[in-house]
Amino acid sequence: MIGALLALVLAQNFEQRGFIENDTYVYPKSAPSDSGHLVDELLIRYEASYKIAPWLAIYGAFDADADSHRQVARDWHLDWDGREIQRPAFSARRFSAILHKGRVTAEIGRQFIRWGAADILNPTDVFAPKDYLSNVIAPDFLGVIAARMTVEATTNDSLDLVWQPWFTPSRTPLLDQRWTVIPEQAQGIGIEDLGARYPGGSNFGARWHHIGSGYEFSLSAFDGHNNLPLFSSAFNAAADRVAIERYYPELRLVGADAAIPLAWFTVKGEAAYFSSTTPDTDQYALYVIQLERQVKEWSFSGGYAGEVLTKAGNPLEFQPEEGFARSLVGSAAWTIDPRRSLAIQAAVRGGGSFTRLEYSQTYGQHWRATAGVAWIRGDMNDFIGEFRRNSYASLAVRYSF
Amino acid sequence: MSRLRLPSRSRDGTPTTAGLWMERVFDMTARGLAFLLIFAAAARAQDPRQIIQEVQKRTYSDSQRYEGTLQVIGHENRVATKRWVFERIGSFGASKAILRFTAPPEVKGVALLIINHPDKASDQWMWRPEIGREQRIALQDRSTRFFGTDFSFEDLEERDVDQFYYKLLGEENGQWKIESRPRKSSQYTYQYLWVKKDNYTITKVEAYNKKGLARVIEYRDFELDHNIWTARTTEVLDVARKSRTILKFDKLEYDVPLKSDDFTVDALRRES
Repeated sequence: MIGALLALVLAQNFEQRGFIENDTYVYPKSAPSDSGHLVDELLIRYEASYKIAPWLAIYGAFDADADSHRQVARDWHLDWDGREIQRPAFSARRFSAILHKGRVTAEIGRQFIRWGAADILNPTDVFAPKDYLSNVIAPDFLGVIAARMTVEATTNDSLDLVWQPWFTPSRTPLLDQRWTVIPEQAQGIGIEDLGARYPGGSNFGARWHHIGSGYEFSLSAFDGHNNLPLFSSAFNAAADRVAIERYYPELRLVGADAAIPLAWFTVKGEAAYFSSTTPDTDQYALYVIQLERQVKEWSFSGGYAGEVLTKAGNPLEFQPEEGFARSLVGSAAWTIDPRRSLAIQAAVRGGGSFTRLEYSQTYGQHWRATAGVAWIRGDMNDFIGEFRRNSYASLAVRYSF
Repeated sequence: MSRLRLPSRSRDGTPTTAGLWMERVFDMTARGLAFLLIFAAAARAQDPRQIIQEVQKRTYSDSQRYEGTLQVIGHENRVATKRWVFERIGSFGASKAILRFTAPPEVKGVALLIINHPDKASDQWMWRPEIGREQRIALQDRSTRFFGTDFSFEDLEERDVDQFYYKLLGEENGQWKIESRPRKSSQYTYQYLWVKKDNYTITKVEAYNKKGLARVIEYRDFELDHNIWTARTTEVLDVARKSRTILKFDKLEYDVPLKSDDFTVDALRRES
């Protein structure tokens, strides 16, 4: 009887969801560092939450990964902090508790913290490292280990305070895989991956969000370390090898974002200034302005992502957000019917461009297949253009539960 | 447990705005869907405007909760199903609502927050678990189909009495037949409404555009709950697409104890 009652209570407060997805990528061209044409990835994601009391809930999310290309580690280690250079086979994406009382909400543990209002680029989204390991143009997000407190001063004003005591980096492409492009003059030289030097100390951030009459905006500030790395290199002439190590520069950021729904379209904008005391680090401002519009079953979004570079630093860097800036970006999605959709996304800048087209269809209540192509063009000295040998066709098959 | 009472809407049929569509979408479904399902017996006068005005007064509730199911049946008889939980606090024009999808599995966790204002368009946010943040949304085209179904967002709006011209065309099988023509921009040029004389519920709507009959909406399975006649089943036929959608809702509750603090952008994140 007690067991049955307990099961009933658990069932009422327990939520779960997840999916099993197989992604197959076909690259027509080989890359200098990667001769493979076919990559297959399998991901099992499980998310669960349990509401212990009206004021307390716990959340967990776990990934199990495998691939054909050895970008995913092949061991039984469970990753908790996202610091692995390879993508771990097993990882705890999220493990956190949310406490809520009155106008105060606190989340403690590994969690996802997303800031910003725009969709095509989010300069202020500074607590959201990404996994660029196997696809730079379509990364996944990583959680951070942090304590976050949100105070809703009024129904229209909230203050977000974040303390991140343990650094989580963005996961960069492996040095011997196709999404790392070695300059032509360095090809043939051996590369030794020394891993990463992670910063100590904490990251702090604050964001004030205000919802006004027909608009909303946020002001945000961050003090800590950039989750995107710079690289230090040491050339060993005798061995004809270069040793590469990632390090993460100190970062201070101030930013703002806004959204204004109008009668004909919705305007969204975001801007941030990035400064650093770490030598050889870029100092710059990123900004985005985008317009959205819904027309029957079509939704359109387009805008410009810009950059103002005030100080150029170490060219050995992996900075996709700067790399995608100075671009005209647009997307369109068509909901053909409840089962089928078509989407296209494009980014065009002076030296390069990419276009992604996806067709997606569901089968029954659980299955979805998504077929896509990504076409990347440009010059080798452009962040997008350097991936011009990485145009691909993809097929994703997902079973959701 | 004390029941929270929010300021009620005006009972004199205060005009609402087109921007209230999203709240109305779900609110209406629970009230019998689409507009004006319950008519007051007091509204004996055969002036359609007065009848509709009376309906607005009689459909008032402090809050509401239900579980909805949508089935879209395409012309090839393929069925797509979506389910959600809907909660609303406050009433038309000043309400707050959250809709959380529970099925199919791939949309489970997607949620919508709608904050309505009496004098301007509503504010809306969508929570998408896959990106882990809310997105401000605004629908500029009310003829857009609702989540790929055969309802357009305009079909699901609650019409304010002052947004239409009405004309009583006559009586058919114990029902009034009323013509309504929009005063402002609409995908439809006119609509016919059938209103039962015995319980003042709308049972059918035919919506016409410039090309002719566009949609037929039928309301069935009425139940009286908290003195509000509510259609538990609504079916819409898209004439051009030959596709139909059936909307049902269960576990309907009116005047449930909900808190205003649970209808904020932060609550959308917290509870999703």
